[in-house]
Amino acid sequence: MTSLATVEPAPARCGMPFFSPPAQVMVDPGPMLLADLDDGPSLAAHRSRFGGVGAAGPGSAAPESVEQLAQWAEAVGLAGRGGAGFPFHVKLRAAAAGPRGRRPIVVVNLAEGEPLSGKDTALARCVPHRVLDGAALTAGLLGAREVHVVVPRERPLVEESMALAVAERQAAGERLAWRLTVVGPGFVSGQARAVIEALSGRPGLPVTAWQPEAVSGLRGRPTLLSNAETWAHVWAVVQRGPAGYAALGTSSEPGTTLLSLPGADEASVGVGTVAVVEVELGTSWAAPMGEVAHDVPVLLGGFHGTWTTASTLTGMPVSRVALRDGGLALGAGVAWPLPPGVCPVDVTASITAYLAGESAQRCGPCRNGLPALAAEVGALARGVSADYTRIEHLAGLVERRGACAHPDGTARLVRSLVSAFGDEVAAHRAGRCDVTRRDLTRPEVAQ
Amino acid sequence: MTWRRRTQALAPATMRVDWPACQGRGVCAEVLPELVSLDEWGFPVIRGGVDDELLDLARQAAADCPHRALRLIR
Amino acid sequence: MSGPMLWYLNRGTGVVLLVLYTATVVLGLLSVSRRPGVRRVPQFFVQGLHRAVSGMATALLLVHVVTAVLDTYVDIRWYDVFVPWGGTYRPIYLAAGAIAVDLLLAVGLTSLARARLSDRAWRVVHLLAYPSWAASVAHTVGIGTDMATPWLRMLLVGSVGVVVAVGVTRLARVRRMAPGRA
Repeated sequence: MTSLATVEPAPARCGMPFFSPPAQVMVDPGPMLLADLDDGPSLAAHRSRFGGVGAAGPGSAAPESVEQLAQWAEAVGLAGRGGAGFPFHVKLRAAAAGPRGRRPIVVVNLAEGEPLSGKDTALARCVPHRVLDGAALTAGLLGAREVHVVVPRERPLVEESMALAVAERQAAGERLAWRLTVVGPGFVSGQARAVIEALSGRPGLPVTAWQPEAVSGLRGRPTLLSNAETWAHVWAVVQRGPAGYAALGTSSEPGTTLLSLPGADEASVGVGTVAVVEVELGTSWAAPMGEVAHDVPVLLGGFHGTWTTASTLTGMPVSRVALRDGGLALGAGVAWPLPPGVCPVDVTASITAYLAGESAQRCGPCRNGLPALAAEVGALARGVSADYTRIEHLAGLVERRGACAHPDGTARLVRSLVSAFGDEVAAHRAGRCDVTRRDLTRPEVAQ
Repeated sequence: MTWRRRTQALAPATMRVDWPACQGRGVCAEVLPELVSLDEWGFPVIRGGVDDELLDLARQAAADCPHRALRLIR
Repeated sequence: MSGPMLWYLNRGTGVVLLVLYTATVVLGLLSVSRRPGVRRVPQFFVQGLHRAVSGMATALLLVHVVTAVLDTYVDIRWYDVFVPWGGTYRPIYLAAGAIAVDLLLAVGLTSLARARLSDRAWRVVHLLAYPSWAASVAHTVGIGTDMATPWLRMLLVGSVGVVVAVGVTRLARVRRMAPGRA
């Protein structure tokens, strides 16, 4: 059980959103996934501390079947960490239920397209074998022989670390076929079907899925594709046992989660620094976020996330359930407070324009709707928005009408701006910005 | 019949669009205007599930799509 | 078998086939459009007409081909219908007819099996309809018994003219309106 202890004031973490991968990812030690970072990322160090693949620590035993692992995952409520929070045990059981002739395939997805996120980078650089062990033990239970490791082109250090980690495992004689694939660049290149397309040798862009990939994915085989952090949690559940895993977090939400926040280094603000911290579920947000003024806008979940204020967050624990009840979502684990004097309407306009540019251009509603939505939000930011209802109309028009959730995430962001910062939006419609203290109708002041 | 089978049999049929294949030709909206309208860019907006009396038209709409971008899911 | 009946049937179906296949191609061209929104004449109507006319034409094609083979006045064997070499009667234009039939078979069979094919595969094969039609026009010009008559000449010129006119305008419209497709 974790108590919401008071924390010492920490330096405020506030940063400007940026649109390319972070120049620097700072990693704080954590209680489980990010414990014992001083060991270094090598396979030898990992093995000497934890033993072989699927080895359980003292007081727990290795799972003997897929079903047992699924029960453990269900018992600790293991949710995917790729952004959607899909229950891992459902995917695992679906992949295991495939017909006998089709051997399942396991995919480790490190292609975090979200520029504000650094957690997969942190795992790759610091503890890659915790991720890969989770995938390897699951592959063993499923009878899968192939494990694909997917890394993003725009983060070459991740590719470097994972290539090394895979080479170490191959040299150690592991009986699995490890394959490293680089995907991207692009915001949508880490989407599950886009990854499977890339692994199939086709352009790495989303396609319509008539069945979930756990049922029929790469080459028609059951494909268990999960985010890197999810695989690390699988490793942790086995290594500690479900009871040991549940010693962290709360009884309803055991375990930990990785969060990405602006780097607290004053000198590097604006350069693109991300700090990755591991927090137990149920901890107060005040601990990772530090001393932030109560009315500071916070972007939660990343570019496909939801806006909120620091006071809303610090009033609740780091908890999927609490966030969901509050109309928010953890998403990719990004919590991004804005620096003082930065207007969330302006930031939303920049992000929406970026997201419109990152559309795969394959689906009509996204290809047409996102640029139109970006234009409307941009007009709102400049104080020239005429028809306000058009933003809501466009947001509704792009949702659930595409091969992937890119338009849905964009619509979610825009809607959350309206619901969280209705006053700022109203001010912009009236031609002024209260956050930056500008009169938007006077162009020379706006520039 | 298990409960799951029964609810599946009772669940209405739906139409699903293969969005990368859809070119916004609008044949589906011509055949099945009761369920399909077109947005401002010519792409289908599907309102609700397919009732039994519209099943034949729904099948025809799926068959008539020039890019095979519409499916009737039962 | 001989006798004028087979020959008249063959000639008659030949002329009607020129009209029907030209209509099929024109209806196919009219089916290509990128303009959003519902039109005065619904697309499914044009598509349905295209299929119906091509079905009628193919039925008549069967008569045209069978009468040509059965008629012993000219030496056309059954394999000359499909194989474009080795014919003895006006071999080049007979071959054009055989090519038209072969291409048509590809188009027709893939259309019947469309549910089993990918959209791209069907589309690529369906483009063979254009050379098939062109081959049938060449066949008419060279082997048509009535080519000397002014009415068949006008019909031929008219058919080619309509296809070219509609084809060019459709191509221009599609180029202008096609949205950027990944």
